[in-house]
This record gives sequence, structure tokens and C-alpha cells, in this order.
Amino acid sequence: MDILNYFKPISTWSAEKVRGFLEEKNLRDYNLVDVRTLKEYEQGHLPGAQLIPVGEVADRLSELDPNKPTIVY
Amino acid sequence: MEGGINAWKGLMAEGVPKSGMAYFSPATRPEELMALAWYLEEGSQKFYSEVAQMVEDREGKDLFQGLAAEEERHKASLLQLYREFSGATSDQGFPGSVISPGREGDVMEGGMSVRDVLKWAKRKELIDILELSLSLETHSYDLHLKMGRQVKDQRSEEVFQVLAKAEKEHLKRLSSFLEKRV
Repeated sequence: MDILNYFKPISTWSAEKVRGFLEEKNLRDYNLVDVRTLKEYEQGHLPGAQLIPVGEVADRLSELDPNKPTIVY
Repeated sequence: MEGGINAWKGLMAEGVPKSGMAYFSPATRPEELMALAWYLEEGSQKFYSEVAQMVEDREGKDLFQGLAAEEERHKASLLQLYREFSGATSDQGFPGSVISPGREGDVMEGGMSVRDVLKWAKRKELIDILELSLSLETHSYDLHLKMGRQVKDQRSEEVFQVLAKAEKEHLKRLSSFLEKRV
């Protein structure tokens, strides 16, 4: 086996799929996380998105409900 | 969400090179984890070294050079761990003797080609490179945590935990630097 056998693709959703999901679901049915900086978040973010800058994600995982799907951007 | 908020706004954005996630089964041997981790540190080290030369921002150069030096130290830690674990007095061809390099060792976090990522980076701004670096370190942090949970011996677990902590520190430094530059 070579090293490339140790990787598998990460599944991602298109923006359209995310849009459809958010329109269909209630805010309490999912976690929506913005991992950008505070400044970027303040300039504009997806409705209902919670800001957890990527450098803080590891320490703030408890803020997310693990029983719900989590969308990250 | 692919494409980030730009895609949400309907803006076309050139995506980063496609990446995957490092994957290993419960049957993966500790030596394989050490070899996999070594290759990924090597890829990150090459990436940061090259990017340090690419960027003009002085502070950015220093940051990437520092990260490259640390990834080199991580490789040394993994080699040392392999020697201790295998009882070998020499390198015994590690890591190639454990996992074949594939693509002549041109692989980095996410299974991406270092060459392809550097070609992408040449066309990009510092902020784009920082965001990719954050993504790489996130993968790396996650990987070392998982490896630490997989190995059975305490010494290996300690090494992977130390490496995970170091990658988390990289994340914080990159994140702080990005905050200043946005």
C-alpha cells in the first residue's frame, strides 16, 4: 500500500444544497457554524450562523449539539 | 459547505485544491501511523518552506518559516518514536519501508499534491494561503488526536498527544495572524 491509500474524499455540500436544507429545516434542528474571523462575520454571515473561529473550534466543541447535523463554512 | 460564503452569495470562487481526509482502520499498525504522520509533516514542511519564500509580508515569512522548522522537529520526533517502538538502532528505511511514498513523496495533509498546492498558492493572496494553512492544521490536529487514541502503548500515545497539541498551537498562531490581516 502506498500513502495515497490512506486518504478518502471529504464530502461537502454545494451552497444550493445548504440553502435548500436551511429553508426546509428549523434553526434548532442543526448547528450552523461560521469558522471565519470576527471581522468577516460582522461583514456578513449566513442567517443564524454561530461564529466559532477555526482556531477556537477545538476548545468550543461543547457549544455544538453532537446529535444534530453540523454545517460549517 | 463547498465554496464558503462566496458560493452562498453566488460568487464564483476558485476553490482550493481538492483535499481528502486521512483515514486508517482500527487494524492499522502503530508503525503505519508513525509513517503516515511523518509523510504529512514532511509535506507540510515543504509547503511552509516554499510559501515562506513566496510571500512578501515580513511577518508572514517569519510565521511560515517558523512553522516549517517545527514540522521538521515533528518528523524527528516521529522517527525517534519509530526507533523506540521497533527497537531498531538505525532508521531501517523509515518511513518508506513501512508505507511506500507514492507520487515520489509529493503528498501533504489531505492527500493533496504539494506541487499542485504550491502552484495554486502562487496565484493567491496571503489571506487565501493563511486560510488553506488553517485548513491543513485543522486536519493535522484531528489526525494526531485520532492516532493518539488508536495506539495502545503509552509512549506512542504521549508523542501523538504532544504533536496534536503543537498543531493546535499552529492553528492559534495562524488564526491570530489572519485576524490581523483581514
